[in-house]
Amino acid sequence: MTEPTAATSVISSRTTTDETAVTADVRASARRRRVKVWAARLATLVIIIGGWQLLASAKIVDRFFWGQPSGIVSQLNDWVRHGTAYGSIWVQIWTTFKEAVLGFLFGVLAGVIIGVLLGQFRFFAEVLNPYIKVANAIPRIVLGSLFTVALGLGIAAKVSLAAVLVFFVVFFNAFQGVREVDRNLLNNARVLGASRAAVTRHVVIPSALTWIIASLHVAFGLAIIGAIVGEFLGAQKGLGLVIATAQNNFNPDGVFAAMFIIAVLALTAEGLIALLERRLLSWRPPSQAEAAAA
Amino acid sequence: MVSTFTGRRRAVHKAHDAARIELTGVSKRFVTPTGTLFTALRDVDLAISPGKFCAVVGPTGCGKSTTLTMVAGLDQPSAGAVRVGGRAVDGITPGTSFMFQVDALLPWKTVLGNVALGPVFRGVPKRDAQAAAREWVRRVGLAGFEDHHPHQLSGGMRKRVSLAAALINEPSILLMDEPFGALDVQTKAIMSNELLGLWEQARPSVIFVTHDLEEAIALADQVVVMTAGPGTVKAVYDIDLPRPRGAVQEIRFEPRFLELHHQIWASLRDEVEAAYARTGPGTQGGRS
Repeated sequence: MTEPTAATSVISSRTTTDETAVTADVRASARRRRVKVWAARLATLVIIIGGWQLLASAKIVDRFFWGQPSGIVSQLNDWVRHGTAYGSIWVQIWTTFKEAVLGFLFGVLAGVIIGVLLGQFRFFAEVLNPYIKVANAIPRIVLGSLFTVALGLGIAAKVSLAAVLVFFVVFFNAFQGVREVDRNLLNNARVLGASRAAVTRHVVIPSALTWIIASLHVAFGLAIIGAIVGEFLGAQKGLGLVIATAQNNFNPDGVFAAMFIIAVLALTAEGLIALLERRLLSWRPPSQAEAAAA
Repeated sequence: MVSTFTGRRRAVHKAHDAARIELTGVSKRFVTPTGTLFTALRDVDLAISPGKFCAVVGPTGCGKSTTLTMVAGLDQPSAGAVRVGGRAVDGITPGTSFMFQVDALLPWKTVLGNVALGPVFRGVPKRDAQAAAREWVRRVGLAGFEDHHPHQLSGGMRKRVSLAAALINEPSILLMDEPFGALDVQTKAIMSNELLGLWEQARPSVIFVTHDLEEAIALADQVVVMTAGPGTVKAVYDIDLPRPRGAVQEIRFEPRFLELHHQIWASLRDEVEAAYARTGPGTQGGRS
């Protein structure tokens, strides 16, 4: 992004000395590039969706198994107009969203607190280390079966499953973040007279925050997976239930349509987390990747 | 303004005895990750009178930094005693500030927030801490940069922030570990002048670790030469250049400066060469 712009400005400065003309030139070339990128993006979408539709119409792709874009759209339309077998589509979306968000919040809270504590108390970290490793190696999604049996078909089982999935990701990042704190910063704070609590508050937690926030992106995806799988295992409403029903009815369009809705949910949450990240980490210099993406 | 001034005077007076630093027979041994015993310091005897500026020079790996961490109370000696103000160091030494080689500024705090850390940690109300910090930011010449974050500043400016953050607690002892080592020559000279100016106002005892003999002579009352590791005190030279010293760039040309430089370098050169021979060419710079 920067290179072509820089090259343009060098060439322009040779041909014209007028500064406003140069800036206008650089801006125009940046705008041209943006337009080109968006056009290519649109073309990609058209090729994928259009290709799928064409192949399905030509019966090269079996729409009984793989669905087709027009079928997905009409399924979404049908859900919005007439609702699903379990009531309004909005109720299903809200249920899944609520489960994912609650699971996310509990998981993050527990992960940060326990991660920060264990990161600071070496002894406990060493004692618990093998158990944490074992717990991390277990496919925790299986816990969903236990939760469904123990906590019933309501929201509690899904929230628990989502929270467990979120917890480990956040916990490991918080723990690692605390241990990576610059020793100079710690020593400096101690020499300046900081108590243990003040060191934690002013140095350890802000320092670990970079790590913790990085984990939140993955964590919300896991929270949604936890909620959906929980609904698969047994529920009275929710998008997971809608997907399970579509599967049982040999309705691939229904599966894709629900998938699409979940993707929108996940992207919205991702946007909110990115916003939070920018707010909390506003002190950071723009990274190379961010500068390139801008 | 008046109250801060008298406050500082009183602090200086009270700190008079508290600022005496004594190391007797101090040794420090570490166990390296490979399991061998490494002796960083051996039988170090050193006394720094209150209000004196002491520079410590020596080759790489002679335990200069270790000495500082023990005076600060961040580390304990394996043998011998470190006393500050007549009391054995046990935990963090009160009234000490430390300036590290890499700046220890919190990147998520602004200039003002970083400078205010000392008072905040000591329990001063936030408003007073900020007012004091504002005054110190001004004193190190960074007025107008209060709300900048460290990454937005140049290396020299970050050093100024570190200096203000170290001095705001009105320390009776200031420990500096190659504070200007990473700066370019001009910035280093400017910072040295500013350090001297600020030091002459409050007169804490200073231990200033450096590789740079010229810097050591230009700043200090006393230059300590340490041997190649395991480090011990080889010689102590009194620097009788008059104070205030004025610009460090110019004092270098005075005959007395050159004479002292000559004399101390003769002593230091052997140690540097010994350390260089040990690390082998290609791994370390000769006069690093």
